[in-house]
Amino acid sequence: MPDSSRYRITHRTHYRYSEPVAICQNQVMMIPRELPRVRCQRTEVKISPTPGQSSAHVDYFGNPVQSFAIDMAHRELSVVVTSEVAVIATQFPPADQTAPWELVRDAVTSGSDPNWFAVEEFRYGSPLVTSGGAFADYASASFPDGVPILKAGFDLTRRIHKEFRYDVNATKVETTAEEALRLRAGVCQDFAHIQIACFRSLGLPARYVSGYLRTLPPPGKPRLVGADQSHAWVSLYAGQQLGWVDFDPTNACLVSTDHVPISVGRDYYDVAPMRGVVLGGGTPALTVSVDVVPVVESP
Amino acid sequence: MSTTKTHESAPFAAYRSAPGHYDECFAADGKPRKAFVPLVTHINGMGRESLETLVTEGAALARESGITYNALEDEGELTRPWELAFTPLAIPVEDWRHLEAGLRQRTRLLEAVLDDLLGPQRLLRERIFPPELILRNPEFLRPYHGLPRVGGARLHVVATDLARAPDGHWRVIGDRTRAPSGLGYLVENRIITSRAYPDLIHRSNVYRIASFFMRLRQMFETLSPRASANPRVAILTPGQKSYRYFEDTFLARYLGYTLVQGRDLAVRGGVLNLKTLGGLVPVDVLWRHISDDQCDPLELKPDAIEGVTGLVQAARSGNVSIANGLGSKLAQSPALLPFFPAASRFLFGEELQLATVETHWCGQPDALRLVLEGLDRFVFRSAFAVRGDRLIRPTLMSAEARQEFIASLREQPYQFVAQELVDRSTTPVWRDGKMEPWFVALRSFQIQANGAVEVLPGGLVRVSPTTQGIENPHGSTQLGQDCWVMADEPVDQTSTLLPSPHVPLRFVRGGAELPSRVAENLFWLGRYSERAESIARVLRTTMVRLVGEQSVANLPEMPRLIAALAAIGQIEPDYAVKELRKALPSLDDALPESLYTIDQQRGLSPTVAALTDKAMAVRDRISLDAYRIVQQIGQELAAPVRIRGRADTRTAINRLTRLISGLLAFSGIGQESFTRTLGWRFLQLGRRIERAWQTAEVLRATLVETDERQVLEAVLEATDSIMTYRSRYLLRLEADATIDLLVTDETNPRSIRFQLERITEVLEPLPVEPDEVGVPYERRLAFDLLHRVRMAQPALLAKAESSGRRVAFDHLLEILTEGLPELSNAITARYLIHTLPSQALTGQL
Repeated sequence: MPDSSRYRITHRTHYRYSEPVAICQNQVMMIPRELPRVRCQRTEVKISPTPGQSSAHVDYFGNPVQSFAIDMAHRELSVVVTSEVAVIATQFPPADQTAPWELVRDAVTSGSDPNWFAVEEFRYGSPLVTSGGAFADYASASFPDGVPILKAGFDLTRRIHKEFRYDVNATKVETTAEEALRLRAGVCQDFAHIQIACFRSLGLPARYVSGYLRTLPPPGKPRLVGADQSHAWVSLYAGQQLGWVDFDPTNACLVSTDHVPISVGRDYYDVAPMRGVVLGGGTPALTVSVDVVPVVESP
Repeated sequence: MSTTKTHESAPFAAYRSAPGHYDECFAADGKPRKAFVPLVTHINGMGRESLETLVTEGAALARESGITYNALEDEGELTRPWELAFTPLAIPVEDWRHLEAGLRQRTRLLEAVLDDLLGPQRLLRERIFPPELILRNPEFLRPYHGLPRVGGARLHVVATDLARAPDGHWRVIGDRTRAPSGLGYLVENRIITSRAYPDLIHRSNVYRIASFFMRLRQMFETLSPRASANPRVAILTPGQKSYRYFEDTFLARYLGYTLVQGRDLAVRGGVLNLKTLGGLVPVDVLWRHISDDQCDPLELKPDAIEGVTGLVQAARSGNVSIANGLGSKLAQSPALLPFFPAASRFLFGEELQLATVETHWCGQPDALRLVLEGLDRFVFRSAFAVRGDRLIRPTLMSAEARQEFIASLREQPYQFVAQELVDRSTTPVWRDGKMEPWFVALRSFQIQANGAVEVLPGGLVRVSPTTQGIENPHGSTQLGQDCWVMADEPVDQTSTLLPSPHVPLRFVRGGAELPSRVAENLFWLGRYSERAESIARVLRTTMVRLVGEQSVANLPEMPRLIAALAAIGQIEPDYAVKELRKALPSLDDALPESLYTIDQQRGLSPTVAALTDKAMAVRDRISLDAYRIVQQIGQELAAPVRIRGRADTRTAINRLTRLISGLLAFSGIGQESFTRTLGWRFLQLGRRIERAWQTAEVLRATLVETDERQVLEAVLEATDSIMTYRSRYLLRLEADATIDLLVTDETNPRSIRFQLERITEVLEPLPVEPDEVGVPYERRLAFDLLHRVRMAQPALLAKAESSGRRVAFDHLLEILTEGLPELSNAITARYLIHTLPSQALTGQL
């Protein structure tokens, strides 16, 4: 596995409306933020038609947000975000040598962990993730007393992958963790919500990561344009030494250089890639395509 | 008459204060406290009878001023008249100075706490507040973190709820930091009470409240983000269904601000604008009375309909000043109360001067233990939300409910605060011929401007004879009371909100700044009032004949009148068909009954209800007199006393007559007291279109078939034109003269032509698109109808074919009954539908 990978990411969002839109006001959260293992080298946001007004700010969780408004009548809206990022591979100690999970929890609770305040936010319920007894029950099988935190985290990730059905029709964007737990089905967003709720129900800080997953073409076949995906996974705070460690319950795999994060928040509600309110528009038709293309370093 | 009354007739003679409570009026030795002496002397001097008269007259005044409040915040329908106790609460200035200093400090603290929580969060990092208290508080809305302050503050208007404990000290129960309500009621209390004691209030050195409102207005002006001598301030109200609505309309009128709802506003180019008939005009300062989570569907809940898309971004860029600042609701979470003393020490190095009632946030294990051990000492509230503010009182619960409550307390302790119930002070209230001690709740108001806090001298006082009543801010067993802070020396006499004489007044004429929503409401106000009058007249004309000396069967006009009533939607269409009528209840029953039923959608009762509703929606635009008349009109159709299960015809006729008088008075006010602004034009358009349409419908039902003179007479009566006719033609009733008078006569204010002439005049100056070429569609429609009526010849219209039908007349009336609704739609399309439906796309990714 390489130490780091560079990608050019193109995220195209296209709306076609059955009726003209008089005005639209939008917010885009597709600009990759800086994280310890992510460097964003360049970002460009192209919007068509050209917005009459636009502005940028950084949100409460540190994510870059671009706001824009178009106040001329239009029937199509296209937002293309192109970024170049470098993702650094993470090195973890063997999972069974990590600290018992209770130690991590207690250090945060007592404030002896110097990062406690930065992670405190992610220990409580959030708009789509209300923690409750059902999650603690589900998580307990992976979290016996004294088990090393990464071992427990991987176990939980594998169980969610195995015991929940991946089903794009089972849930919607506003589905809560509780509903998804009841359905035992959903998409990456729901799997992430469930795992977050499990961690939080034990008093561990956990946050939601939205980003991209690079897909590898079958051997010998060319890469298909637009074949990659928006994706979401989980980040668990594993103590002062390890910091935030990412798990992907949808694929039951380690999060490494194939995963490119964009934004982090408490749950999907905080990091929806695009929000918008339009006047008119009739029935909108949405198409989204993502390309994550490796950039080959010139020697 | 002697001014000395016997001891027994003195209202205070039999007053006994309640043991265990501080009495505001009488000290422990039974003597009135100094601040109350002038009041007690005055009222005792009046005697019981005069006091009774004063109370009765005052109550009538309060009722007439139309003050209402919602008994239950969540159930908008339950509006009740605001009632007043006519013995003010008097507070001596020494007491007040102490309280005032405490409130100043508290307001500074609330500001500092909120500014920290929406900024660096030192209170959490240093664990002065348990971080969980804020981080899991649903009122901590992340988009509001880091927004700039406005005029150096986030809290511009703050209220604090207070109770006086048996030791004579005031204690804080809670605060209101989002959009404190009560200022409007407080002004009304003062106005009404001043009228009840005009001399006394002047003699007794009572601090005036008007200067506070002048400061409030100055504050809003200084908040404007742009240098402007005349910033536009708007009050953003949640709307007619809200408990706030009465007060918002009152404040808008009292302070001279525009009252707006979310859909009147739009953010364009990052700037907040008011949508008016003349286009968009920028809003500088928004006094926000909607909930924090409703402010912007883009950044908060996508289904937030009370707010404006893009408002948060406009605030973030500093293009609009919003008061109180977005996110201010967080500071009023009851769960913060126990931590304020520590916050004060941390932020200011000061002790809190004003004590809070013993309060515990159950989210802390120690607090929970203490609370569970002494459960009966406490009442419980939601830790984070103030809305509704229902008190949970374990002492009043059944054993089962109590166990359930304890279980939920153990399961989610962080959701609750426990608060000790104060033995509140009492004050004398005159009720049912007795002076009795009632419990007192005081809400104080503070404003922050230019770094200083100003406290309103007095406050909103509620009194209730029961604990249950006083602890529930929306309870039904309570009265309002004026609060007099009594100075030792004469006070500043400012008593009105006249502008400062130093500022030269800029003369203005009401112009295009009419929100489209208001224009729409005025248009329909005009239409409904005219519709109600038209129906009432035809109905009265018909019912008078029912109780006449002649048998109905011998009256040739009856079938025509019935057909007219069916045509205008007052009764079932089947009544107009002879064969079908037999199956229906007799007219003697059906007609009086039709006044009160809501079965016919366009009938009288639904029309009057809609009229009252529209008047309510434009309360800030019509005079108090006009509103009062509309209220009375509404009361005429309240369910009547029934005789042997039947609604009485004579009663119905009398009610219709009063209803017609009321409607005439209302339209008179519209003519004589309404400035000729755009708003007036829409009221007129509504009226004229409806009157022309109703008249055309009635004529089509009655005069298309040839007729006898009784029919002509009935039609002239139903259209209020019989007097004019008689003065012209005496007793000679002819169809052509009747048609002339009702259709083509440009001098008869009841004729169709008269309406169309006015419609074209009123339409002329309305704004159109600057690049629009030619005559706009609605004007062409109006001119076309007017032209046809002008060209019509009454003699030809009156001429019948051999079939007995007046075909030409029928044709003209058909064009009118179809063209007038079309005209109404065209006006609506151009001016009144100002937005397309908007949709949130957030959920579709």
